Amino acid sequence: MKPSQPKIAAKNVQVFYGDTHAIKDVSVEIEDKTVTAFIGPSGCGKSTFLRCLNRMNDTIESCRVEGDIRLDGGDIYDKRVDPVQLRAKVGMVFQKPNPFPKSIYDNVAYGPRIHGLAKSKAELDEIVEKSLRRGAIWNEVKDRLDAPGTGLSGGQQQRLCIARAIATQPEVLLMDEPCSALDPIATAQVEELIDELRERFSVIIVTHSMQQAARVSQKTAFFHLGNLVEYGETGQIFTNPTDPRTESYITGRIG
Amino acid sequence: MSEQHIISAFDRDLEEIQAHIMSMGGLVEDAIRNAAKSLETRDEELAQQVRKSDKAIDELEDLINEETARLIALRAPTASDLRLVLSVLKVSGNLERIGDYAKNIAKRTTVLVETAEVSGSAVALRRMAREVRSMLHDALDAYIQRDAAKAEEVIERDEEVDQMYNGLFRELLTHMAEDPRSISACMHLHFIAKNIERMGDHVTAVAEQAIYLVTGQRPTEARPKADKTSQTI
Ligand SMILES: Nc1ncnc2c1ncn2[C@@H]1O[C@H](COP(=O)(O)OP(=O)(O)OP(=O)(O)O)[C@@H](O)[C@H]1O
Ligand SMILES: [Mg+2]
Repeated sequence: MKPSQPKIAAKNVQVFYGDTHAIKDVSVEIEDKTVTAFIGPSGCGKSTFLRCLNRMNDTIESCRVEGDIRLDGGDIYDKRVDPVQLRAKVGMVFQKPNPFPKSIYDNVAYGPRIHGLAKSKAELDEIVEKSLRRGAIWNEVKDRLDAPGTGLSGGQQQRLCIARAIATQPEVLLMDEPCSALDPIATAQVEELIDELRERFSVIIVTHSMQQAARVSQKTAFFHLGNLVEYGETGQIFTNPTDPRTESYITGRIG
Repeated sequence: MSEQHIISAFDRDLEEIQAHIMSMGGLVEDAIRNAAKSLETRDEELAQQVRKSDKAIDELEDLINEETARLIALRAPTASDLRLVLSVLKVSGNLERIGDYAKNIAKRTTVLVETAEVSGSAVALRRMAREVRSMLHDALDAYIQRDAAKAEEVIERDEEVDQMYNGLFRELLTHMAEDPRSISACMHLHFIAKNIERMGDHVTAVAEQAIYLVTGQRPTEARPKADKTSQTI
């Protein structure tokens, strides 16, 4: 069987914040229609690497990215690539919920509107409802779609941001600890959504929950001090990891 | 993994289930020794004792099952911790079966004491039982010390047990052919020999778990099968 082209291919990626060398020569191929989990101790560079994949690091003044990152074979750091267009294809849910200071409805409708995904108000309504449902928050907000998104609870804001991120139908969804503020039911709903998205898209999720990584992903990447230490089948990583640093981390040992 | 968990209670739980395995192993070793001894010395009282002590082995298995289930639910073990927990379940199952075989030997002994002795068989069975007991001891050592090489040695030794069984099988056949009055006793002796041979297989399974624990892989090489009696006419 011929291996299919990776959705994202990163080669020799280095990231610096001023003098801080945050990502050290990371190469990885992210498969299409696959959930990939990024795990590793706090500060190891998971969010930094994730932000490289849709050029979110461009917005950080001190940040310098080197290396080669390709989406479907195309260099995403090419001068002709419009970062806004790129981010519609490679969507993101941030570690901290960041709803726009707008209504719940407009938070979700914003992306589809600027990318012209809806031809009518009815169509837009439909996208908004569907996205909020898939973000597992519809029942809680359906009666107050005009209320400000910022007035929701932390966990609700996070789910609103998930709904916003999927409303534009991205090909790749980057999720940075999407469930850290969610209760077990909302967490299960988001995990179900992730599994559903995998049928068509590729999802990368950063998580501090080993159980979550094991539950939702097919591939797992373990980062440590800016290095990609181990990358492989999730089942293998959690039963028989190759690197002792991975073993120490996932089994909760001092390493 | 020599490193300790950040949550020290996790280490204590893992140590506890392994300590239970070792106590269970000790009881099973005693059961093999006493069953063989009661057979050789025709000691009915000792045979009774073996039958009774099997209950303690069963209870330990139940305890291990409960504590392992609890540990999985509460601590969600991964990697080598997961392999340890899975292997504990299997090893306790193997030990329990060995205990049952010892009990069965003791049961047959209480019948055999009523019959005439079949010359030579007691000594051969004692040797066989001693070998299996020593293999079990080493398999459990290998398991607890995470010594895959030692476990491999144990697996190889099972071939000797199979050969001893083959020898006994033929010997008992000859006896029965020569003296039909000995058939009943010989049948019991044969089942005892078969029990010990099966114990050896369970010991081998324990050794395989030791290897799995260390390497994450089951031993690849197919074990030489020296029990050929199923093809003997
Ligand atoms: N905007 C920034 N400016 C300067 N340094 C940064 C910036 N963002 C991250 N870093 C540094 O880069 C390294 C990697 O940080 P990053 O946020 O990628 O870690 P992480 O693996 O996502 O951690 P966590 O699990 O805590 O979210 C850290 O040493 C961090 O201090
Ligand atoms: Mg982060």
